[in-house]
Amino acid sequence: MAWRSAVVASTILSVGLAATASHAADKVTLTFANWADAEGATRPGIQAVIAAFEKENPDIQIKSEAISFSEIARQLVLRVRSGNPPDVAEIAGNDTMLLAQTGKLEPLDGHIDAATKAALKPSSIEGLSDKGKLIAFPWTQAPAGLWYDKAVMQKAGLDPENPPKTIDELMKDLAAIKKSQPDVIPLGLDTTNRAFSLISNWPWMKAFGADPFVENGATSDAMKSYLSWMRDLAKKGYIDPGRKIGEFRPLIAQDKVAFLWDQVLLQGVIQSTNKMTDDDFNKHYGVTTQPAGASGKSYSFEGGHQLVMFSDGKHKEAAWKFIRYLATSPYAIEHYTLSYEASLTPLEKAPTDALAKKLDTPVFNAFSEKIMPTVTAVPYGPKFAPGATAIMAGVQQAVTGDTPIDEIAASIQQNLGN
Amino acid sequence: MTAAAAQRSTKAAPARKNAERVPWIDWMVLPTVGVLAVVIGYPVIYTLVLSTTKYNMLDMVPPRYIGGGNYEHLISDPIFWTSLRNTVVYTFGSVIVSSLLGLALALLTESLTGWRFRSVRALLLTPWAVPFVVVAFLFRYMYLQNGGVINAVLLDVGLIDKPVLWLNNSALALPAIMAANIWAMMPFFFLLLSAALAAIPNEVIESARIDKAGTWSMVFHIKLPFLKSALFISSLLMIISNFNDFAKIWAMTQGGPGYSTTTLVIYVYWLAFENFDFGYASAIGVVWLVLLLVFALVYLRAIRMNP
Repeated sequence: MAWRSAVVASTILSVGLAATASHAADKVTLTFANWADAEGATRPGIQAVIAAFEKENPDIQIKSEAISFSEIARQLVLRVRSGNPPDVAEIAGNDTMLLAQTGKLEPLDGHIDAATKAALKPSSIEGLSDKGKLIAFPWTQAPAGLWYDKAVMQKAGLDPENPPKTIDELMKDLAAIKKSQPDVIPLGLDTTNRAFSLISNWPWMKAFGADPFVENGATSDAMKSYLSWMRDLAKKGYIDPGRKIGEFRPLIAQDKVAFLWDQVLLQGVIQSTNKMTDDDFNKHYGVTTQPAGASGKSYSFEGGHQLVMFSDGKHKEAAWKFIRYLATSPYAIEHYTLSYEASLTPLEKAPTDALAKKLDTPVFNAFSEKIMPTVTAVPYGPKFAPGATAIMAGVQQAVTGDTPIDEIAASIQQNLGN
Repeated sequence: MTAAAAQRSTKAAPARKNAERVPWIDWMVLPTVGVLAVVIGYPVIYTLVLSTTKYNMLDMVPPRYIGGGNYEHLISDPIFWTSLRNTVVYTFGSVIVSSLLGLALALLTESLTGWRFRSVRALLLTPWAVPFVVVAFLFRYMYLQNGGVINAVLLDVGLIDKPVLWLNNSALALPAIMAANIWAMMPFFFLLLSAALAAIPNEVIESARIDKAGTWSMVFHIKLPFLKSALFISSLLMIISNFNDFAKIWAMTQGGPGYSTTTLVIYVYWLAFENFDFGYASAIGVVWLVLLLVFALVYLRAIRMNP
C-alpha cells in the first residue's frame, strides 16, 4: 500500500507543481524604464498606478526601472544597441525622435484601436510619427505659458489682472518690477546649454521670426534681433542667466520671481513648496500666453511625456495594454497625470464627470483653451541635439559677454555647419 | 681579477642564474597581463580603430572606415582648439596656484607642534575630504548672482556695487571654477609638502642655523631643494588628474557660458553621450590620450630619477 500512497502523493505534487509552473509561465513581467519612479515628487504616484494596473491585470507584473530624466535617452540608446531594451519606456522631447532614429521603436498603428485614437486630441499625436508611423503614445501634455505673480506685479504698481500681451509691454513691466523690487528676478528664463533649454527658448525665437536651423538661419536678422533682445534682458538685470528652469520654481513660490516661462506643472510645484490652497493659488498666480512679438502671434512648446515600446520587445500585447492604461485610464489620469504631474491629459474629453470637474480649473482652462493653440513644432531630429549645443552656446555668449552679436551669430552658423 | 675573485665569481654565477630564471614566476604574471589587456588594452585599441571611422550610435549601421577624416575635421574645429586651450589653462593654472598655496601653508604651519598642529592640519585638510561634486555645487550656489554668499559679502563690504556674474560671464567663469578647484586641491599639496618638510634631516637645519641662515635663505637654499622632488611628482600627478576633471566643470557650468569652460573631457562627453558621435569623439580621445601619455612618461622618468 505504501507504494500506492507514494504514487498518489507524487501525482498530486506533480500536478501542483505543473499548475504553479504554468501559472508562472502565464504571468508576464514587463520592464518599464522611466524617470517618474526616480524622482521623489512623482514616485508615490507612479507606484500607486503600477499597483492598480497589476491588480486589474493579475497576469502582468511591472518591473519599474528608475532612470533619471537626463540619463534616460543615453541608457535607452545603449540598451537598444545591445539588444536589451525595456518593454515600455517613458521619453520626452527630442529624445523620442533620437530613439526613433535607431529604427527600433515599435510602430503603434497596429496596436491602437479606433476608439482610443478617436478619443485623443488630434494635436497630441502630431509630431509623434516617424516615416509615417506612430512611434510614441502621448502620456501627458505640458505646454509652457507665461506665469505671473500677482503680488509682485501689484507691488510694482502694475495691474495684476492684466499681464503683458506684447514683448514691448513685457519690457515695460520688467522695468517697473526691477525698479520697485531689485531683489526679485523679473523674468525666469532657462539659458543653460542643453537640449531642453533650446526647446524652452524656441517659442521666443519664433516670436522674433527666427529659425536657426534653416539655411543661414543663425545669421538672419531675426536671429540677431532675438540675440540682441536676450542681451538687453541680461544687461538690464531682468533675467538671471545660468539657472535651470527648475531652480526658478521654488523662487516664484516665495515671490522672488515675477514672470516665469514654464510648463503647466508649475502649479503643483508651487503648491507643494508654499502649501497654498487652490483658491489662494489662483488669487496669487496666473498664467497666460507668451507676449507676442512683431508678428502679433504667441508661441509655446509642448513638453509632455510619451510612452514607447520596442520592436525587439517580447511582450508587445501586454506592453500596449500598460501604455494605454497609463495614458487613458481614469485611475491613472486622476492619480498620476493630474495629482503628481499636474499636467493635461491627451484625451479630448475627460473620461468621467469627476475628472472633468478636476480639469475645470483656471490654470488647466488657460492652458487648454488659450495656450495649447499656440504650440509650435520644435524641429526635433538627429541634428537637434548638436544644434542645441551650438545655438545655446551662442545665446549664452550673447547673454554673458560683450562679443558683437554679428560675430556670435556667425559663430553659431559655423558651429551648426560643423 | 685575482684568481680568488675569479673563483668566487664562477661559484656565485649558477646561484644567481637559478634565482633570476624561475619559469613559473614568469608565468604568474600572465593573469595580470590578461586582465590589463582586457580592461586597458582593448578599449585603447578599439578607440584608435573607432577614431578612423564614421560612427554614430543612433544610425544602427556598423562603423564606416574614413581614415584620417576625423583628424582632419579636428584640425579645423574651433571648439576643439578652445577646449584644448581651456584644458591647459585650467590644469596648469590650478596646479601652479594650489601647489604654491600648499607650499606656503606647509611652511607657515611647520613650526606648530602638538594639538595646535593637529587642529590646523585637520582644518586645512577638510576641503580634500569633500567630494568633488559637493565642492562644485557648494561653489555654484556661493557664486549665484541672486542669493549667492560671495556677492552678498562683497556687496555688504562695498567692494562691488552690483552682483558679479561669476559663472555667467565668459571671462570670469573659468577662473571661478579654478578657484573652487584650487580650494579643493590645495590640501593635497599641503599634506605632501608637510611630510616632505618633516623629513628634512635635523642636522641640515641645525647646521644652517649655526651658519646664521635667515628665514628666506633657509627656505630658498635649504628647504626648497629638499622639497623639489616631492613638489615635482605631486604636481605631475595633479596635472594628470586635472586633465581629466569632469565633475566640477559639468556641475558648475556644463562647459558654458558659450564654450568658455569647455574642456576636452566636456567636449568628448558632449560628442559621445549627447550627440552619440563616437567616431569623432574617439579621435579627440586619442589626442587627449597622447597628451596624457606624455605627462605619464615624464612622471615615470621623474620617479626613476628620484626613487
